[in-house]
Amino acid sequence: MLKIIFGNCENAIYNTSVYFKNTYQDEWITNGLSVEMIRDVDKSVVVGPHMIESPVLGAITPKELSGGVKTLILISKEKSKIFNASTCGDNCAKWLLKIGEMNDVIVNLRHIMDFGKGEFEIEVLNNHQIVRNMKELVDVAGAMI
Amino acid sequence: MRGKYLITIKNNVLRYQFEIRRNITIIRGDSATGKTTLIDMIREYYDNGEQSGIILQCKKTCVVLEGRQWKVLLENIHDSIIFIDEGNRFITTDEFSSAVKQSDNYYVIVTREGLPNLPYSTEEIYGIKNSGKYGILQQTYQEFYRIYGDVKNSIQFNPDIIIVEDSNAGYEFFENAAEDRVWETISAGGKSNIYKLLKKFDNKKILVIADGAAFGPEMDRVMKKINLSADKAIFLPESFEWLILKSDVIRDKALEEVLDNPGDYIESREYMSWERFFTALLVDKTKDTYLSYSKSKLNEAYKNKKIQQTILQEVPKQLL
Repeated sequence: MLKIIFGNCENAIYNTSVYFKNTYQDEWITNGLSVEMIRDVDKSVVVGPHMIESPVLGAITPKELSGGVKTLILISKEKSKIFNASTCGDNCAKWLLKIGEMNDVIVNLRHIMDFGKGEFEIEVLNNHQIVRNMKELVDVAGAMI
Repeated sequence: MRGKYLITIKNNVLRYQFEIRRNITIIRGDSATGKTTLIDMIREYYDNGEQSGIILQCKKTCVVLEGRQWKVLLENIHDSIIFIDEGNRFITTDEFSSAVKQSDNYYVIVTREGLPNLPYSTEEIYGIKNSGKYGILQQTYQEFYRIYGDVKNSIQFNPDIIIVEDSNAGYEFFENAAEDRVWETISAGGKSNIYKLLKKFDNKKILVIADGAAFGPEMDRVMKKINLSADKAIFLPESFEWLILKSDVIRDKALEEVLDNPGDYIESREYMSWERFFTALLVDKTKDTYLSYSKSKLNEAYKNKKIQQTILQEVPKQLL
């Protein structure tokens, strides 16, 4: 399940881009989930572990991926760590939910991400409350940020 | 610093053009829209000038602030537009807020966090969008768009409750106006309490009136709350004092020019956010007249029905 700590979280890795640059491994990029996330969020195609084809920038390396995708890859690969997911835009929300469906992951949010109009299941770790839609999420998280 | 500044920055594949209008601008929005790429280009141009291959056009120096030494670096930056990418934790600190307050620079900050220490305008929160290819070049044109555009209500709203950010003159004004209307007026006693009141009166039809000039930090949670209900609306004039100045209550040719281009008159080092300037301006314009304005207590003259109606005309008709 996706579990969120809202507000300040000292243990969270705040600058996810720097952490990604210094820790990512080749197989993280070519992994099926990463390939899909890169295609959906960055509109880019993974050619190989060292080359991604961006429609705007041309050939780029994983270091030039968007901050949101880097954070999503970190969350999916480094499950023991807590990352600042406020580096992700709303276009990353469905992927956060998907990663949460596959594994228990904890992320830190410093804003209210829009998880869309559908139903979902997220545990807010600040008070261990389960929220199932945006109305519940906004009511719970709004007081924590 | 005062005024607005057009910035054009381009390389072989990207071209950004946008205008910076106030001391604090926030960039957020979806991932992969080119926020970090913009900051990288600003940095590369600052470090290498035209030898970077980047072309930057702006009347002010554009510089990137980052890292642990931010405070030392900032002491030596003046009359510049400072860009800060996400990932710089110092933007959340009181120290940074104090530095911005005393600064003659403008700041462009990439973040989705509210930053309650910084009173930025709801109008200066932008996303970046791709507007297609530029001319015949294979250059993608990136431009800013306001994340919170004009908040419009197409149907008549008629609130049960008006929550006013102000606790003094602004609150008194709307409470007094309510005598002829049907709403209850509640003072939030500060912008950070508005979200709590929206939750408390969740089943009521509520209009929020807050100072747009400094309400930026609250916009994320307040707008998410408002957008989830058809019974909530928001009106964000620059401030209550701006509303009075904008109405025909005070007739002054010079005032019109100031209100048309406030950024040309507001020194960022003197006024961290614009609502304080408008208060000072209103106090000055009404000094020694029957409309003499005080923020702490509403002058009885503003309770006169004719004056009251003139000011209320500045509120969109469909809201009240």
